[in-house]
Amino acid sequence: MASVNIAGREVELDEDGFMVNPDDWTEDCAKYFASGEGINELNDDHWKVIHYLRDYYKQFQIAPMIRKLCKETGCSLKYIYELFPSGPAKGSCKLAGLPKPTGCV
Amino acid sequence: MSYFILQILPYVTGAVFTIGILYRLGRWARARIVHNITLSPFPKTNTEVATVFGTEVIFFRSLFKSDFALWIGAWFMHIALFSIIGGHVMGIYFLGKQFVYIGMSEGLSEFMSNLLGTTFGIIMFIALLYLLYRRFAIQKVREVTVTSDYLHLILLISIVAVGNIMRLIPDWGIHYEPVKEYVTYLVTLQPVPAEAEVLHTPLFAVHLLLVQILLMVFPFSKLMHVLGMFAERWIINRKYTEPAPGLPNIDIPAARAAGLGLPSEGGVE
Amino acid sequence: MPTYKDMVQPVRATDADMKKIHIDPVPDDQKCEKAIEYLDLMRKKFRSFVLAMESCVKCGACAENCHTYLGTKDPRNIPANRAELVRKIYKRYFTLEGRWLGKLVGAEDISLDVLEEWYSYFYQCSECRRCAMACPFGIDTCEVTMAVRQILHWLGIVPKLHAGVGAAMEKVGNHTGLPKPGIVDTLEFLSEEIMDEFGVEVNFPVDKPDSDILYVPSSADYLLNPYTLMGAGMYFTYIGANWTIPSTVSEAGNFGLLFDQMFTQRHNVTRLLDAAQNLGIKKIVWGECGHGWRAAKMYIPSLADRPVPWPITHIHDEVAYHVRTNQLKLDPNKVGHPTTLHDPCNYSRACDLQENLRTVIKACVADFREMYPNKERTFCCGGGSAILFDDPEMYQRRIQLSAKKAELVRATGVGANGDGYLCAPCSICKAQLYPMVEEHELGVEVKGLIDLVGKALVWK
Repeated sequence: MASVNIAGREVELDEDGFMVNPDDWTEDCAKYFASGEGINELNDDHWKVIHYLRDYYKQFQIAPMIRKLCKETGCSLKYIYELFPSGPAKGSCKLAGLPKPTGCV
Repeated sequence: MSYFILQILPYVTGAVFTIGILYRLGRWARARIVHNITLSPFPKTNTEVATVFGTEVIFFRSLFKSDFALWIGAWFMHIALFSIIGGHVMGIYFLGKQFVYIGMSEGLSEFMSNLLGTTFGIIMFIALLYLLYRRFAIQKVREVTVTSDYLHLILLISIVAVGNIMRLIPDWGIHYEPVKEYVTYLVTLQPVPAEAEVLHTPLFAVHLLLVQILLMVFPFSKLMHVLGMFAERWIINRKYTEPAPGLPNIDIPAARAAGLGLPSEGGVE
Repeated sequence: MPTYKDMVQPVRATDADMKKIHIDPVPDDQKCEKAIEYLDLMRKKFRSFVLAMESCVKCGACAENCHTYLGTKDPRNIPANRAELVRKIYKRYFTLEGRWLGKLVGAEDISLDVLEEWYSYFYQCSECRRCAMACPFGIDTCEVTMAVRQILHWLGIVPKLHAGVGAAMEKVGNHTGLPKPGIVDTLEFLSEEIMDEFGVEVNFPVDKPDSDILYVPSSADYLLNPYTLMGAGMYFTYIGANWTIPSTVSEAGNFGLLFDQMFTQRHNVTRLLDAAQNLGIKKIVWGECGHGWRAAKMYIPSLADRPVPWPITHIHDEVAYHVRTNQLKLDPNKVGHPTTLHDPCNYSRACDLQENLRTVIKACVADFREMYPNKERTFCCGGGSAILFDDPEMYQRRIQLSAKKAELVRATGVGANGDGYLCAPCSICKAQLYPMVEEHELGVEVKGLIDLVGKALVWK
């Protein structure tokens, strides 16, 4: 377990670099993770996906079905891979401060 | 030396072999078959189970399908081995006249006994050399081999080589009769007389010594695979009866007639 | 990073992660001693394990039958050699020849390095049992992998992925950590999707009392495999079933089988039996999950701590039965893609499901092409036993482990025009193959089998 300083706040990360406590998330965290994922700049679509994930997680304590994510944000799966090169589960969840998905995913 | 090998060691060998095997089987029996790990496709009847056992034990079915090149060496080696063991018992007990019982003349029976023994001896020798060659030549096999694996093969090859020399060079060999006498002494716990031919046939003593080493090593080595095969197949080839298919309270024609799933306004193509 | 002396290793669970699955990791200075103690327990309990330790002749027949060895060419990934990593310790401590002759028979003292070696290599084995099928004696190397993973678990050495799943199973009853509201929301969303795409009204009853059928889907279906859930819902609606999905154990898989067959696996079984009892179930029907179906079909009888009055079958047993009795109207032309079938190892070598899969797929697909070798001779997708690790080193290994499967898929030709379907009716296979068909550029899309049933059903 490691902790990093993001915009003046200590944030705890697990071995895979996901946030340990999703409530600590701020937009600065998304920007911090973006650089590690090879995303130069977060555009509106990035934020749309990130905010949708956070809202869904707040309500259901789980990431949404990928098909639902695509439908509700209007982004095709292919486009999500363009936005987040490591994919919806590992990439966008990390930026949105969600825990790493477990199980057969 | 010959006296030790022929008169004392056999009893030690017999004890080590028997107690060793019982000890090993006891260890296996103490552990249990905890979960059902039958390999599918499942045998559905006991006849099918027997067929699986039979084809595995007699024809090495799995090996035939999975590694044909190895099967050639392994199958011929084992068939020759069991024929030779059977041949030793029959030949020595019946003095080579065992084929008389299936209608041959005495002379022909002895000729057949010698011919079969020599043939299987040569087959086994070649097969063992091939198996040894594999251990050196094929990378994946070399990678799974440790020293004792080579030693087992070399021991077997030595036994067969000595046996074959005794067959092919009659002056160095021995006939059935003196061996039968010797075995009778052993079994009836009588001392072997000093003038007995077996004590004066050096290769016989060498052959017997090597065999006894093999038998003493047997319970403490991978040679236990002979019995392990049955124990393992007993676990993974069992009869399995499938539960009956069919779901409770299902009437598909009625469900279709009621149009289940179709929106009430209809209109699905 | 997850390598140790040139061996790849999955990211490890922390002490805190282990605590959540009720294990206090053994301190390093006691690990060796404890490992021997646990090894002694395993050998006294499992005959399959003792026999694997004591009757291998190391003929090498397993080598070419192991996709892990074929993909990595690492000699320690030959099943006989992988087992030898334990056998050398077993010989040293539990056999006369090992104690007396040591190195000559390949015996070796235990050390922390050996434990690290176990962790690396027994988490590259996918427990697919192709070596058990190939072995002339029937030695089941999967049993060795299971025993060693159990020992490692007790020592506190488990991949983070598996430990996380273990904790989620205990918390909410499924691997992905889905709480009931998430389950209900996803299923409602899928009802809408079915209406949009197929024009059919399908409801997914959750925890409905007095249901006849308990359908246990894989929790990965809620995140990744929408058509698998949709297909099952459409099938049950089509036949007019009184069915329900349990929210307390919405999980066809059971990672306990893969790293802890004592507490973790049994705990999930207990949850299932409780759910069946509470909901007044008459029959339990299993969803698409390979290891989970093995855990259910073959292990529940020996793991349940009370009588199990409910028959348990797989959804494809039931669909196949309805196909054979001509009760379903299926239009194979609706699935207009060349399709091949990947036999999940656990279905075809542990559960005898291979013929039913074919009955179903041939009824649903017009252009079906067999992949060879198939049925019980199938090769693993490379992800078996959930070695779905995604850190860079292990991900590279996954690509190697799926190389054999990729070669076989390519040989069927279904992906030649880039519009093939690769039917892989198992959640681990799906999770492994989604990225792997891209890595190997196979030109196929991965589908479940009940997905295709849903697409092929004719409603009127």
